[in-house]
Amino acid sequence: MSDDDDFKALMNARTPTPSDAARKRALDAALLAFDAEQKKTASAPQGKGWGARLRSIVPHVMRDWTMDTRIGLGLGTAAVALLLLPLGYQLYTSTAITPLPRTVEAPVTQPETVEPAKPIADQPVELKDEEADDADVTVAEPAPVVVGEAGPDAALQKQALGGAEGRTALAPMSAAQAPSGAPMDGMVATESAAPPDAMLATPTEPSGDEFTRFTESPVKVVAEEPVSTFSIDVDTASYSYVRRSLSDGYVPEPDAVRIEELINYFDYAYPAAASKEQPFRPTMQIYPTPWNPRTQLLQIGIKGYVPPASEDKASNLTFLLDTSGSMDEPDKLPLLKRAFALLVDQLSENDTVSIVVYAGSAGVVLEPTKASERAKILSALENLSAGGSTAGAEGIELAYRLAEQNKLTDGINRVILATDGDFNVGIDDPEDLETFIKAKRDEGIFLSVLGFGQGNLGDDTMQALAQNGNGMAAYIDSFKEAQKVLVEQIGGTLETIAKDVKIQVEFNPAVVSEYRLVGYETRALNREDFNNDKVDAGDIGAGHTVTAIYEITPAGSGAELVDPLRYETAQPTAPAAQADEYGFLKMRFKLPDEDTSHLIEAPIGRDLAVDSLAAASEDARWAAAVAAFGQKLKGSNYSGTISWDEIERLAQGARGADVNGWRAEFVQLIGTAAALNPDG
Amino acid sequence: MEQFTEGSSLPQEATDEALVARARGGDRAAFGQLVERHYDFIFRTACKWSGKRSDAEDIAQDVCVKLASALASFDGRSAFTSWLYRVTLNAVRDMQRAGNRRGRNISRFSEVHPEDAPPEQEEAATARELWAAVRALPEKQRDAVLLVYAEEMNHAQAGEIMGCRETTVSWHIHEARKTLRGLL
Repeated sequence: MSDDDDFKALMNARTPTPSDAARKRALDAALLAFDAEQKKTASAPQGKGWGARLRSIVPHVMRDWTMDTRIGLGLGTAAVALLLLPLGYQLYTSTAITPLPRTVEAPVTQPETVEPAKPIADQPVELKDEEADDADVTVAEPAPVVVGEAGPDAALQKQALGGAEGRTALAPMSAAQAPSGAPMDGMVATESAAPPDAMLATPTEPSGDEFTRFTESPVKVVAEEPVSTFSIDVDTASYSYVRRSLSDGYVPEPDAVRIEELINYFDYAYPAAASKEQPFRPTMQIYPTPWNPRTQLLQIGIKGYVPPASEDKASNLTFLLDTSGSMDEPDKLPLLKRAFALLVDQLSENDTVSIVVYAGSAGVVLEPTKASERAKILSALENLSAGGSTAGAEGIELAYRLAEQNKLTDGINRVILATDGDFNVGIDDPEDLETFIKAKRDEGIFLSVLGFGQGNLGDDTMQALAQNGNGMAAYIDSFKEAQKVLVEQIGGTLETIAKDVKIQVEFNPAVVSEYRLVGYETRALNREDFNNDKVDAGDIGAGHTVTAIYEITPAGSGAELVDPLRYETAQPTAPAAQADEYGFLKMRFKLPDEDTSHLIEAPIGRDLAVDSLAAASEDARWAAAVAAFGQKLKGSNYSGTISWDEIERLAQGARGADVNGWRAEFVQLIGTAAALNPDG
Repeated sequence: MEQFTEGSSLPQEATDEALVARARGGDRAAFGQLVERHYDFIFRTACKWSGKRSDAEDIAQDVCVKLASALASFDGRSAFTSWLYRVTLNAVRDMQRAGNRRGRNISRFSEVHPEDAPPEQEEAATARELWAAVRALPEKQRDAVLLVYAEEMNHAQAGEIMGCRETTVSWHIHEARKTLRGLL
């Protein structure tokens, strides 16, 4: 890089010498704090909350404590969020989520009981006086914590709220971090006998992974907003990420939990579509909500068409693999090699594979090779090694060029990008990268993204790229997951059977008074986007199942969360014939090689409703259990009072045949979540 | 490491680690010495990062106060100074965030280095502009640039302090360069 000298001028900066007065003041204050610390340790050998004490001395010091654990994550997120803002905004704007004033949810985790802080009178007054001349600087909290009056929890929440507000002003993307910071406060109050590494605190939450921030979809009043529109999402990355976090003993951050991806991780026995031209049809059911006795769930499920095995579509696959130094971990490059070897095993004679690497060693590792030459492909994979930090320029362009050279007019053309989060693929402006991928998508080359490892994962970028590339984003945390994505669901991973699938539901105000879409926050669309074929949406692969759940409040049930308006004019009553319908479902999709969408319509009749959960189908109960789990895990405002035990029982009773053991694994995961984040 | 006889006054050349151990054991003198020894370092770092003397003094005092309790969490996995960097950068960040909330940062960039008086007037102006621009960068980028250029560390050392990978530091610097393109 030629501009290496840009920052040279920063060297040898002369800093002013500190004034003796300031130095003396700081020393005295430090010693005072030291004495207080010692006294406390002596008088309270059990070390009840040195953090709490400190908090009462200097309010802003406490901020340091509470935030420190997340620096790596929080700050990195903020900075990178700024860089990725164009991408993030694409998501935000295309999903029409207005950054609403963030509702601070109760922290999901509260690992330690926080001791009540000492009353304010306890604090050394001198310290305050010392700072009085600079009061506007040091007493920086917008919401000073009234210690001793409010419970510690309230104080912490206030802090979280203050933090969130502050950052909202800076960048909307970073605004949602506050709640994930709150759990850290638990660490503040741990015993001084063996305090955790609170200042450095790298080992707590999985930090460094980037997630798109989002706010849970709120309850909508049917009378005001009868139509709900969203794009489908076949990704499953969130589930494997959550599974990994929980298995490692961490509660994932709320933004990592995308409920629709948890639900869609599992297979559902929806009836498949009959033909390629009508690639799916909706299956609906209405049943009581497990976490709220007064509402119901409307479940909409679709299953993608599965082409007959005899129809072996040729595919042209280009692997774009990250070999940067950070991939040199057992769960990254070595797992990647085995995963792609699995994929190669699935290919047949008429398929071709090329391999391009970027970062570290850059370039074409394998020219387009027939899949029948397995040994050649596997040895190319095996010879990959991670190392270096040089950006392998042109990685992505190279991959697409190879894909183009070898493009099949009547087959699958797909680039599969595998990375642990370094997207320095050659185009370093996220917007350009997105545009590039979009343009290639329109030419018929799709992109899928596989994420590996932890600590650096750019989940938000992964999602954005895969969405723009008409592909799926999966997170490979284990060999087993690689098997699921690349063997069992290989068809769905490689072959798109319908693209830009949008769902629109119009609710009938005579039957439904309120509704709330569970999950799909990052996939919301504007009402007008539904009929606009230019608006991109999710794609569905062969055999994929997609499930969406609405929590609906029946009219007249009295369970409404929103009060009726005082000055509202009387609603015109719906014609009697329509009183039988909860609403009306519309879906739009395009066939993979078409640009005009097709419409599917279906009324949501009362006949779809069942009175009890027991009467609901196994798949319905399963989806409801997963939704309840996701909501509870992320501390949703709407998760009701359902206990982990109840969720587990519900899931246990809906496991079904479970050939692959995924559902059994989920049931175990509920136990882990319950242990990490107990009820109450 | 040399052994000290119990009760003797601390020799001047006691290592940071030894002082930390003693301070953790409740030795007031050791703590005092440790703080005194590093005050200048903390202040200078704060000064480079914040660009304002009064802020730097406040930050340095915060860090000193915090050390009283934070020492307990210093586990010796990294050098004391690396750890101190992190504590100091955290303090800078928190103060600036608090400041941002109240819109105080407008004046932050007005005062760069009061003591800075390089011979060439023009050069000084350019340097001042650069400092202001770097300080206005997103926090991670700023930290990476300042650690590597102003503190002259290599990327690995900077990564250790920032709690991220070496490659991430390079990335932040790369991004910083892009952000400042046109200005440089």
